[in-house]
Amino acid sequence: MKYVDAFTDISVTDIKVDLMRTAYDNEDALLNSFDPRVVLLWTVLFMIIPWLFYDTLPLAILLAAAFALAALSQVSKYLLALLLFGQVTNVGFFVVLVPLIGGAIRAVEHLGDNAARVVEGVMTGDVGVFAETGTIVAAAVGQGIHTATTSQEVGIDAVGALVPFFLKLTIISVISLAVFSAMSPQKLSKGMLRLGVPRQLTFAIAYGYRMMPLLVEEYHALINSFRLRSKVPEKQGLFRWRYFYYLLRLSVKAFYPLIFNVAKRSRVTVEAMETKGFSRSLGDEQSQALRTEGMMIRTRDVTFVFGSLLFVAAVWVFT
Amino acid sequence: MSSNNIVVENLTFQYPGGDEAVLRDASVTIEPGEFTAVVGGNGSGKTTLCKTFNGLIPHFFEGTFDGRVTVAGTDTRESDVAELSKTVGYVFQDFENQLVQETVRDDVEFAPLNHGLDDYAERATRALETLGLDHLEDRFIWELSGGQQHLVALAGVLAMDPEFIFVDEPAAQLDPRNARETYEQLRRLNEERDKTIIVIEHHSEFIADYCDEMVLVSDGGVAWKEPVEVGLNRLDDLLAHDIHPPQVTKIADGLPSEAGTLPDGRYPVTVDEAATAFQPATTCESRAAVDGGAVTTLGADTDDAPTDRGQDGDALVTMRGVGHGYPTLREGYNRVLDGLDLELHAGDRVALVGANGSGKSTLLRLLTGLESPDQGSVTVLGRDTSETLPEQLADDTVYIHQNPEEMFVEDTVRKDVAYYLENRDAPNVNERVDEILAYLDLEHLADRDGRLMSLGQQRRASLGIGLATDPTVVLLDEPTGSLDLQSRREVTGMLRKAESRVETVVVASHDLQLVAAWANRVLVMGDGEVLADAPPAAVFSDPDLLAETDLRQPQVVELSQRLGLESPALSTDSMCETLARSLDGDGVADGGVGDVGGDAESDGGTR
Repeated sequence: MKYVDAFTDISVTDIKVDLMRTAYDNEDALLNSFDPRVVLLWTVLFMIIPWLFYDTLPLAILLAAAFALAALSQVSKYLLALLLFGQVTNVGFFVVLVPLIGGAIRAVEHLGDNAARVVEGVMTGDVGVFAETGTIVAAAVGQGIHTATTSQEVGIDAVGALVPFFLKLTIISVISLAVFSAMSPQKLSKGMLRLGVPRQLTFAIAYGYRMMPLLVEEYHALINSFRLRSKVPEKQGLFRWRYFYYLLRLSVKAFYPLIFNVAKRSRVTVEAMETKGFSRSLGDEQSQALRTEGMMIRTRDVTFVFGSLLFVAAVWVFT
Repeated sequence: MSSNNIVVENLTFQYPGGDEAVLRDASVTIEPGEFTAVVGGNGSGKTTLCKTFNGLIPHFFEGTFDGRVTVAGTDTRESDVAELSKTVGYVFQDFENQLVQETVRDDVEFAPLNHGLDDYAERATRALETLGLDHLEDRFIWELSGGQQHLVALAGVLAMDPEFIFVDEPAAQLDPRNARETYEQLRRLNEERDKTIIVIEHHSEFIADYCDEMVLVSDGGVAWKEPVEVGLNRLDDLLAHDIHPPQVTKIADGLPSEAGTLPDGRYPVTVDEAATAFQPATTCESRAAVDGGAVTTLGADTDDAPTDRGQDGDALVTMRGVGHGYPTLREGYNRVLDGLDLELHAGDRVALVGANGSGKSTLLRLLTGLESPDQGSVTVLGRDTSETLPEQLADDTVYIHQNPEEMFVEDTVRKDVAYYLENRDAPNVNERVDEILAYLDLEHLADRDGRLMSLGQQRRASLGIGLATDPTVVLLDEPTGSLDLQSRREVTGMLRKAESRVETVVVASHDLQLVAAWANRVLVMGDGEVLADAPPAAVFSDPDLLAETDLRQPQVVELSQRLGLESPALSTDSMCETLARSLDGDGVADGGVGDVGGDAESDGGTR
């Protein structure tokens, strides 16, 4: 299949299923097979480690490793692509923006140097001075453009300084994506509970996982309701921007009924939680003990942590 | 064991901030081992009454509470919700929101874990096995069908092994087959595990088939508690509270003096009873048929086929070789429709029937243009849906969502009805909205938020939103799910009123009573295609087809067959007429029994 086809054939449903798979299909994910406490501590460790490196090469190697981990954790390819696209456009943006700002600064400087004469020209209304003012402005714009077009290397230099920073951010993003999409919510809350996180919070996480797909469906249904009762703009405009702007407006509008529907659902949920003895269990040690039993740190957990630390050490030494 | 019951004594309750008491001096006793149905009109206080059983009232809703509720010897005021829930399990009407964990097993274990019970895992296993859910234990809640979710909610309740199980309107959000499945499970729990079962129920046919006691809640009080056979015979009381009596009971009531009664002088409430009660009438009928040599025309199927349906005109909707499906998380691509061909013409009143997942909703969504077919083409009013935006198709087509909540995008009903008109700069928006609100009796609800109304009211409002668009093609997804008598009459009325300007209506429905009374063309869906395309009577007289698609005949059709009638009656009125005629000994068929439409009107309207 051609890549172009693959790209244009993506439907909302495909993306939905892919995201679902990321969030919910954890059975074969590598990180899910370890003890949740170990994984949580490991994550904290690896949030810090990238900041100890300053060069591009080791960071790039770490990033590659992070992507490998994400692949083993079945992270959505759409999400990874989006992340990568975001970072690349960010870098590209700086390459363009830095010379532009340089140009603008140059132009403003030129105007500033001749400010007195410009003001004079405007105040007096003298035709001669007025014409001269025009020349000054034109010269300012010219110099600005010149600076902007000739200072690409400045832009690239500026970006060069930023690349390690972006790499660090990307590594952290990819790792946290991998961890939180690979670990099943049960394991995650079990681990957090054992590490002393309050039950209310771990429940909220588990509940969020439970409700998310439902909300996605409901949101989609609401947008469809809006569409069937709205009118598309008659003129679609350049690149159909009016049409996309209309869709964007609908998708923002649809949040309002969604929030109401959620509020309504929670009324029943709160009652049901009461009948299931949730509030009674909060201070109950027996209940807490049952919930966190059966966790064990095994050799493979330790191997995983030390193995990854060893890898980092190797990168440190050999680059 | 005498104290092992639920006793409500002179209970008066008012919600905090409420204007008046919801319960007034209510008294009732639920004995152990009963299977009890609580019935009553909307707002009669039946749910409030039942929430006193597990202490939600007065512990969760702290209002003015006078009187006494005793559950298994404990005064509910001296206990708490969690403790009482060990004795009284509660399955909410809105059961989906009762499930708070992500997988089936976690949710069933949730309550035992909260209570710190060591054997939580065994309890969950036992509950899941009892309900035949063990193969689903690792599934995510959101992957399950509505029927499965309901059973999981029930399993979560069973894990605490309560003596009383209370289920709020099981048939409200489930299709008839799943509701029946739930009732079968409840019956087993009642008979094999000696649980006391209490249900709130509108559908008297379920009550007749499964329950043994019946409580009528009226105006905040308990009007009576009777055995089901007696309770369902109090037709005046039931109709006064908007409850459909079973069709067979209605038929018996429609027959001349005593002709339809059982030996003990009451009307039958189940098909079995009715077959016995009406037997004398039909022996006479079949004899007449043989004698007269003429076949009595019972349904209206024979006179509508060629005249009523515009088969010859241009098709309004054409589907050619349509294949469509969805990617799923576990099973890959799930093909719902496969090579489907279909034409709809002006004047068609189409009912789409079929099991869950047979593609009814998918077909409707394809017609709206919200989805384009994976294969084949769909043309609506000359426009190819793949090349037309759904907004443009919506100029002439309206789709009324199965779940009315998804149709409310504004904060009042009035704004919701006006939304389409205002977006399209229609003239006289206010007048048209007023007219629709008046027609559907929504005026007093016009300024309320649609989401906060009862399900029946929501359904009416969603019909109003649909009517406002003045469509040519109407697509309705499950319009009578959980409707009481009043609301079903309104749906039929709206369909009828719409007919004057609407050219074709497609209704996806499990409500075979509605199908029998209203449609002139039934499409039976299955295996990704249309299994049968015929008038209602033909479909209903094919039990094999119905069984294959998980459909259940309406009582009146089932009864026709049990009585050995040649072609099935489709409405209670035509059945009454046939029976009455054979009683008179007048076996000669004097023509058909009027058109289906008239029957449906009187089905709800004569009372």
